[in-house]
Amino acid sequence: MIEDQAREDIALIRRVIEDGAAYATAGSPDMLVWGIAVAIGYLGTYACIRGWSPVTPGPLWAACLGLPWLFSLRRVATGLAGRKVRARGPMAQALAMLWFGCGIFLTILVIAAMATGEARNGWCNAVVAGVIGIGFFTSASLTRLLWLRWVAIAWWLGEVALFALRHRAEALPLAAALMLLLLAGPGYALMSRRSRRAEG
Amino acid sequence: MTDFDHAAIDEILASRVRLAIVAFLAGANTADFVAVRDATKTTDGNASIHLRKLEDAGYVEMQKRFVARRPQTLYSLTGRGRRALLDYVAHLEALLPPAGGGEPSQPEEGP
Repeated sequence: MIEDQAREDIALIRRVIEDGAAYATAGSPDMLVWGIAVAIGYLGTYACIRGWSPVTPGPLWAACLGLPWLFSLRRVATGLAGRKVRARGPMAQALAMLWFGCGIFLTILVIAAMATGEARNGWCNAVVAGVIGIGFFTSASLTRLLWLRWVAIAWWLGEVALFALRHRAEALPLAAALMLLLLAGPGYALMSRRSRRAEG
Repeated sequence: MTDFDHAAIDEILASRVRLAIVAFLAGANTADFVAVRDATKTTDGNASIHLRKLEDAGYVEMQKRFVARRPQTLYSLTGRGRRALLDYVAHLEALLPPAGGGEPSQPEEGP
């Protein structure tokens, strides 16, 4: 009997710790920041192609990728500065590393595509959409926020559309819209969850 | 019969609601009152009573702030609370038989 009670208590503790980690992680502003920054990059590139903007894609993307990376690496900077960094739970760490890995992969892909001229072929926009879809699909399972799966599916539909439009400049505003609606939007929704809870 | 030592059980964490609060805060680091209440599936009054007991025991600390002109009460687990949870889990695990079967292991003596 005592063993059964102990097993139940251990299961309860594990489950509730995971719930806590999911609650903590699902409020990060990183998605909002990245969604807006990358959307600006796409729109700026489109404006450059159309001749509406003198800013070339190289410096534009350096800023639109560099600044959100600085924001996302603020924890590392805090640790390097010798200040105390709040410890993450295992679930929060798993989510952070999932998106960190996605970010590294996509940054390398975009830089390589721009350096080799492959970016003009447009296929890498579809890959970006597909990888973000994987990130949302996995996050939905880890955080138990199942509506994030619909965001993942929307990203994969966007991937198909971006691949279909890969040789057309109109893929760029579409990619920007996806970033705003399906990355910055969910990021804002997750952040405001906490405020709504506080208002109770 | 197992050699169950009642004295070794942390009385504060013997309540399932308090145990759930401490476990939730261990995962969340910091959480507002409504999140704690929802996570533990209890009422406002019940959650308040248990949080107060945890505060009195030094397991949880409270911080009040304003968000959009509305008061928000945040709770976080103290180092003492985290150690208490780890000790409690270790004690529970000691009650279970080893993976290969046999008698439950004896809890280790604390420092």
